[in-house]
Amino acid sequence: MTRAASLVGCFIGMAGLVGCATVQPWEKQNLAKPQMTFEDDKLDRNYTEHIYSSKEAASGGSGVGGGGCGCN
Amino acid sequence: MKPGPTKKNALIGAAIAAAAISLPLPPSVFAESAPEKGIVAFKYLNYQDSQPSRDRIGVNAWSLRGMAPIAGKWSIDVTGTYDSVSGASPLFHNYIGPAPAGVSVVSGASTSSSTSSSSSTSDEVRKAIDLSVTRYLASGSITLGTSYSSESDYDSKSLSLLGNVYLNESKNTMLTLGASVTNDTIEFSRATGTVAGTAGDRDDDDDDGGRDDDRDSRSGTSTISENKDIVSGIIGVTQVMTKNDIIQLNVGYAHGSGYYTDPYKVNDNRPRKRNQTTFMGRWNHYFEATEGSARLSYRYYSDSFGIDAHTLGLDYVQPLPSGFTVTPSIRLYSQSAADFYVPSNPSILPTPPDTSALEYSSLDQRLSAFGAVTFGIKVQKRFDDGWLVDLKYDTYAQRSEWTINGTKDPGLEEFNAHFIQVGVSKEF
Repeated sequence: MTRAASLVGCFIGMAGLVGCATVQPWEKQNLAKPQMTFEDDKLDRNYTEHIYSSKEAASGGSGVGGGGCGCN
Repeated sequence: MKPGPTKKNALIGAAIAAAAISLPLPPSVFAESAPEKGIVAFKYLNYQDSQPSRDRIGVNAWSLRGMAPIAGKWSIDVTGTYDSVSGASPLFHNYIGPAPAGVSVVSGASTSSSTSSSSSTSDEVRKAIDLSVTRYLASGSITLGTSYSSESDYDSKSLSLLGNVYLNESKNTMLTLGASVTNDTIEFSRATGTVAGTAGDRDDDDDDGGRDDDRDSRSGTSTISENKDIVSGIIGVTQVMTKNDIIQLNVGYAHGSGYYTDPYKVNDNRPRKRNQTTFMGRWNHYFEATEGSARLSYRYYSDSFGIDAHTLGLDYVQPLPSGFTVTPSIRLYSQSAADFYVPSNPSILPTPPDTSALEYSSLDQRLSAFGAVTFGIKVQKRFDDGWLVDLKYDTYAQRSEWTINGTKDPGLEEFNAHFIQVGVSKEF
């Protein structure tokens, strides 16, 4: 639990550091490219996360939901 | 003297402003506005893993996804997946072969035999479907999702709710809150009177999470039905840093209770509770000089089994002429062992290490300490009419000696895998 509290504290601190961007809407052309999003190619991500979660102990981190399987 | 604004400057300014307004600007870089186009995508996966002495598990999988916008404020996203798994998993550590004397091994409830005399051989099919509906709002979005996965011996159901809220009018900062509940059911058969120290759950207390032990004295088998429930949540912030940089920070927590034991492995008896914490940071950077993008990610993972893990990933997406894109990638991973992991002892094979005096135990290589490296490359070709085809190859290597945060188990063999993906999609 102490470790979890440390992570949350770290998270809040880092989140506080980033709240100062002033990028205007017309400056976001590069950020709008598919490869700059965090959700590029959903099927690729599904397969890859499924493989790693069945061969390694760690899983998760990028979202919630999704079914489990008998492979892990 | 500083010149004041002239009529010419005012006209130029107005022209720039008009041009900026008329640009097809994305309402959001977070894809949190309703999509303008739908998509149909298909992807095939071929996966094969191995250890030096032999191949282990092979998988062929097919996924079909459809996503459609509805009335400019909604979208629906459905993915169906069909997996076919074949091959063999070790009974314990790297041991694949006949079950040692005095050891019985459970088999799936759907199969005719209750015990196996050799390693767990798989010839399994898994069918899964994911469905989500998203409502887009001026200040964010809400997504309700559900998923169902079915195998002969394992079913999984989940329900999730995910909300994204912009924290400022410029839409440079987005807060994400999500939660999900998952219920898994596993069914398997085992011989009645299984001797101590064999595969299966030896947890005889009453906290069995609804276990249903349906014995069949005529055949000498019992069908075991077990459950696992997981409640998880995530909180995250996505932040535009510059016109070429965007970062995301997520903290996740999951609490699970129920059956975590692997009944197909020898001497496997795991705690019935597992709490997992993750911290993930992602940073995407766009290089104007090359028009390429670097995607860096780091995840820290910790759970109540005593496992800590670090994952570092780096992709570089490089657009090329004629609609091609090439993406090399590397992934580095290291984990410590579970507190109840029992190290291998090759000198006594095929006898497994004795765990009879231990409250919890596992001889599963996946709960040992190891490091892993993945190298990958992906090539995409985008056509003008909305078609996209892609090909991806990954090679994965796992070694006990590569762990940076755990106690090595030198008796474990190398583990390798490769996976190939072929995809095609069409926007409409």
